[in-house]
Amino acid sequence: MMNQVPIREDAHAVVAAQWGRRLAVQLGFSLVEQTAISTAILEIARNIAKYAGHGQITLHTLADGACVGIEVIAADSGPGIADIALALQDGYTTGKGLGLGLPGARRLMDSFEIVSQPGAGTTITMRKWRTSTDHRDKPGGL
Amino acid sequence: MDYSAIQKLENLLLVSVPRDLVDDDVIRMRRDILQAVRKYNSQIVLLDFSQVDICDSFFGRFIYSTAQMTKLMGAKIILSGLQDAVIETMVELGMALPDVDAVLDLDSALALSRAQAVQGSLVEGAASGPPEA
Repeated sequence: MMNQVPIREDAHAVVAAQWGRRLAVQLGFSLVEQTAISTAILEIARNIAKYAGHGQITLHTLADGACVGIEVIAADSGPGIADIALALQDGYTTGKGLGLGLPGARRLMDSFEIVSQPGAGTTITMRKWRTSTDHRDKPGGL
Repeated sequence: MDYSAIQKLENLLLVSVPRDLVDDDVIRMRRDILQAVRKYNSQIVLLDFSQVDICDSFFGRFIYSTAQMTKLMGAKIILSGLQDAVIETMVELGMALPDVDAVLDLDSALALSRAQAVQGSLVEGAASGPPEA
């Protein structure tokens, strides 16, 4: 299963996050996991709209034996990130944000990888695996 | 796009934060909040998050900047109605918001604002009343 959402403005980032949540719901992720995935997508998709101006978010379903996961690929052809280590530091921002976008998204997901070169755009690949099938929210359960 | 409703409720200014927040909304919403604080002389601005199921750092910046602005008008921001999954994600994300208080729901917010109103009138009464013998 594959979904692609073009990102040209802030409102598209919201759409990408909603698609991510929908896929996470379909795959049986828990409510907290759904929220983490959609929030991570929103963070990096807003970054595309803000810094690159144009790009896309692609969602894939992962299946590895009994494990089910979601892969999010965020690609843009914007200015790129000169110092990736710096961009992944909490509190670092070149814009007007809180500087939590990239490091925050990384914490919310299981894996997070950035490929970027100044002038050649940025591609972020991040994945999250469903913890277990009985982790779904049960009414009345804890 | 649904737009946040801003209402006066007793001493509170009640702001329903919309489920999705984009750039332009934030600026408009902040200005509307400041205008309403001035109009009603609100001491507490309650940001009701019960509709919100994703709270990224962009929301965090909205909360933080609104809190700083209303503080300069003598009003305090209090968050209300944050969902469990949203709270967990906010903290994972690193959104600490140290200067912003929160309550569980609208009932707690009303109780808090009524308690403050009583306290405020007591302090006023004590200040303007005759000195104790």
